[in-house]
Amino acid sequence: MAARPATPASPKNHKVRAPQPGQPMYGCEHLQRLFNQDQATTNTSIQHYKAILRSIFDTTPLIPQTAKAIDGQIVTSLTPTYLCLQCPSTLTEDDRTKHGSKKSHRFYVDSRSGALYCQMCDDIVWDPTFEELRLKKIGTGTFSTRKRKHEELFETSDPVRDNPTYISSNTTAASCKSSGLRGIYNAGATCYQNVVLQSFLHNPILRNFYLSDGHASSSCTVQYCLSCAMDDMFQDFYALENTNGYTAANILSGFWFSGKRAFDVLATTNEQDAHEFFQFLAEELHERNGDGKKPESGSEHSCHCIIHQTFYGKLQTTTTCQNCSGVTNQVQSFLDLSLPLENLGHKKGKKGGASRGALTLQECLDEEYIKSDKCEYRCHNCSSMQQARRQTTIKRLPNVLSIQLKRFEYKQGRHERAAKIDTPVRFPLELNMLPYTNRGRGSGGSSQDANKENYELARSCTYDLLSAVVHVGEIDSGHYVSYCRVGDQWFAFNDHKVELAQKSDVLNSKAYLLFYVVRSLS
Amino acid sequence: MSSEPSETGKAGIIVAPDDAPPMDKLTHAVLDDLLYNIVHDLLVKVHRDEKIARANTAAIKVEKLAKSTSDGATTDPKPDVEIETDAAIYKDGKVTLKGNPLKSTKEILCPRCHLPRLVHPTDGKGAKKPDPGVIYCKKHPYIQKPGYDIYGQTWVAPGPGRGKKKKDQKLDPNDPSSPAPGAEGSAKDRPANVLSYPSATCPKCKRCILVTRLNNHMGSCIGNNGRNASRAAAQKISNGSNAGSQNNDNTPPGSQKGTPRPGSRAGSPRKRDVDEFDEDVEESDQANPKKKKKTKANALTKKVILKAKSPATNIKKEKAKASSNLNVEQKMDDDAKDSTVEVAPKKQTPKPKGVSPAKKIKLGPAKAQLPSPAGKKGKRDRDMESESSETLSSPPPR
Ligand SMILES: [Zn+2]
Ligand SMILES: [Zn+2]
Ligand SMILES: [Zn+2]
Ligand SMILES: [Zn+2]
Ligand SMILES: [Zn+2]
Ligand SMILES: [Zn+2]
Ligand SMILES: [Zn+2]
Repeated sequence: MAARPATPASPKNHKVRAPQPGQPMYGCEHLQRLFNQDQATTNTSIQHYKAILRSIFDTTPLIPQTAKAIDGQIVTSLTPTYLCLQCPSTLTEDDRTKHGSKKSHRFYVDSRSGALYCQMCDDIVWDPTFEELRLKKIGTGTFSTRKRKHEELFETSDPVRDNPTYISSNTTAASCKSSGLRGIYNAGATCYQNVVLQSFLHNPILRNFYLSDGHASSSCTVQYCLSCAMDDMFQDFYALENTNGYTAANILSGFWFSGKRAFDVLATTNEQDAHEFFQFLAEELHERNGDGKKPESGSEHSCHCIIHQTFYGKLQTTTTCQNCSGVTNQVQSFLDLSLPLENLGHKKGKKGGASRGALTLQECLDEEYIKSDKCEYRCHNCSSMQQARRQTTIKRLPNVLSIQLKRFEYKQGRHERAAKIDTPVRFPLELNMLPYTNRGRGSGGSSQDANKENYELARSCTYDLLSAVVHVGEIDSGHYVSYCRVGDQWFAFNDHKVELAQKSDVLNSKAYLLFYVVRSLS
Repeated sequence: MSSEPSETGKAGIIVAPDDAPPMDKLTHAVLDDLLYNIVHDLLVKVHRDEKIARANTAAIKVEKLAKSTSDGATTDPKPDVEIETDAAIYKDGKVTLKGNPLKSTKEILCPRCHLPRLVHPTDGKGAKKPDPGVIYCKKHPYIQKPGYDIYGQTWVAPGPGRGKKKKDQKLDPNDPSSPAPGAEGSAKDRPANVLSYPSATCPKCKRCILVTRLNNHMGSCIGNNGRNASRAAAQKISNGSNAGSQNNDNTPPGSQKGTPRPGSRAGSPRKRDVDEFDEDVEESDQANPKKKKKTKANALTKKVILKAKSPATNIKKEKAKASSNLNVEQKMDDDAKDSTVEVAPKKQTPKPKGVSPAKKIKLGPAKAQLPSPAGKKGKRDRDMESESSETLSSPPPR
């Protein structure tokens, strides 16, 4: 088949994964026999498996979903087909047995998952060698650990991505019981802090940073250092068998001893804004771990601290003069994307009667990062004020994308409490950010190469929901709760109480803050 | 969607009526295929977790057997023996499977502690009684039971921030008629899974504060004209007088309303004076030699994060000690009355090699700054008194 050209034999010999303690070396006896035939068989098997994974995950599903029946008929199906590991045939489930007995080909790859089926076991087998390849393909999109495509969309030298220990999820925990799942006691109207702390605790990058002694708290001399307090907290969550709630006293004293701008807002106005606290914590941790410069909002700040590595991305604003068509580009860093809801909700409300006010996250993103607006600006070419078209796109995506849905509207100054916007905003578990990047804007074309390129681009821009912070109740008497995902399981955090949650609980919540992690890291 | 004249899709569940127009039949077939795919994906995922766990269990068992047969005391990770079980073969240090582990292996062993995993939760939805004769891995399935958390725990009184009105709180610390959380007597009758709210020590005034009022306390103690307030408080404590020690703290701790009165922390936190840190600076200086001693772990070696149960192993710098002191979780119950302070286990920092006894002795004076258990007890009692007397004089809003 054209989709799976015979891979030119590479001179390199493929190796079966070395035996690991507590793990069988092969998925089944039959694969054991296959791998022990000779080096050539091992080489072709692994090469074929890689080629099949590429055709499943890097191209349109049409190709792997199209099977050729024994009688020569071409069938495209919605349900899984089976790609033979030993020859370039794609088969339906029914024909798989016939093909097997005719050609003595025994191993097939499921076109939906890339999993390997052994006909002699009559079961899917999870072979360590093949499974490692499959997980790499699903994750980073490439079989090699180093090379990464589309670097311009991410930091070019990104220790988080380049160092596998940051990504590895097998962080050494002290006990089978310590899972990082604990509530945090409400110390008196501190639920707005607790929800942000929980989302940090379940952020894989921050977790690996702190659990690998990334902030050397033992040699830190800063008084009431919040990063040391974070370090202590991570230790307590992931090292102790304690299931009781956590008393975040160190964090709280660090907060009260601090003197940040966000702190002033929170402390002097008694505002209970989880977003403000997120900004406060990010700034504070940046200063404790980074270049010491205050992160100026609006400027292009390059720092390699853990907070910048985790949360910061870059926006590019392009202003085009309507008179001379001169273009000005301005780049600035962002910690999070703040999406206004009010205007959009009204617009929608006027248009659609039934779905009045209901929004999707993608609509909010479209409004900010796809649509352009008009503005006045001083053009250098024309040396005068001109009408201009302004457009903002994402130039660099962060590893963890934080989104604020602006549910609180402050009309006059901070002390005038205004309304809370209760508009439901539907958000996905899986978010493709490609359309909002400047790469996504430019891409198009219909050639096969462009198509493949787009597949890979889109995959590198795929994010998975990590946590959601929800404000329930009235604006000044409400309460914050949050949802965080650990593996595939969702948990609901309500101060000291942790409960299991369903995906539907999460998706039906009126989220205020959303944290998405880039798929290639999770 | 296949060209075969099938009535509907692969799942065969969503079927159009016989007399439906072709477009309807196609729609049903597509939906049916999609349903099949959803179930297929789900099955593949569950299958993967289960089969890998069982295959690894088979490997763990045969490896264990190999180790025990090849002269029990051997430290060789790959003993040179050949062992065969019903599920796997151990040979040349490699494990290979025999048959399908889903059939050959029934239980799942934890890859870490090699103890059997509990398959069903012990309480709530889907609960089953575990075999009392078996020691299970400590990682249990999470519990789903209304009113309880994933570990099957519950708390003595609805705490703040749970969306409940104040009047719903059975045990309101502000209400003199209701016993304080964890007050005498209640602890004895309380089942092990009913927890009480802990206390923590304020790093500034070193007083022990119930967690639910920690924010308000710190707001006034640290945030509000810090130095004077804390000095005054310290003096009052040393005088043994408690009257009005928390005048600023007029927001009821039980309130989750999120609106501490602005008056309680009026001062600008920016006005904090540098020398308010005086006492603390001293402490951290004392700790400095120790700090340098501590082995600095490579930034990327996963530090195994064990914390020992004893405070004596806490050889962290003094600064951290002062603050980790905040983690002192005190149960205000009978035990606490006997001045037993439950100390949250401390981080077991890798013990610095060759800390001389002299260095250790240096820790002495620093430690002495921490209140003795007796002192703590006294102080806590005063706190309780002062807070309740204060709330008597100023009833909480609402
Ligand atoms: Zn074949
Ligand atoms: Zn097999
Ligand atoms: Zn620090
Ligand atoms: Zn930074
Ligand atoms: Zn111009
Ligand atoms: Zn275990
Ligand atoms: Zn204090």
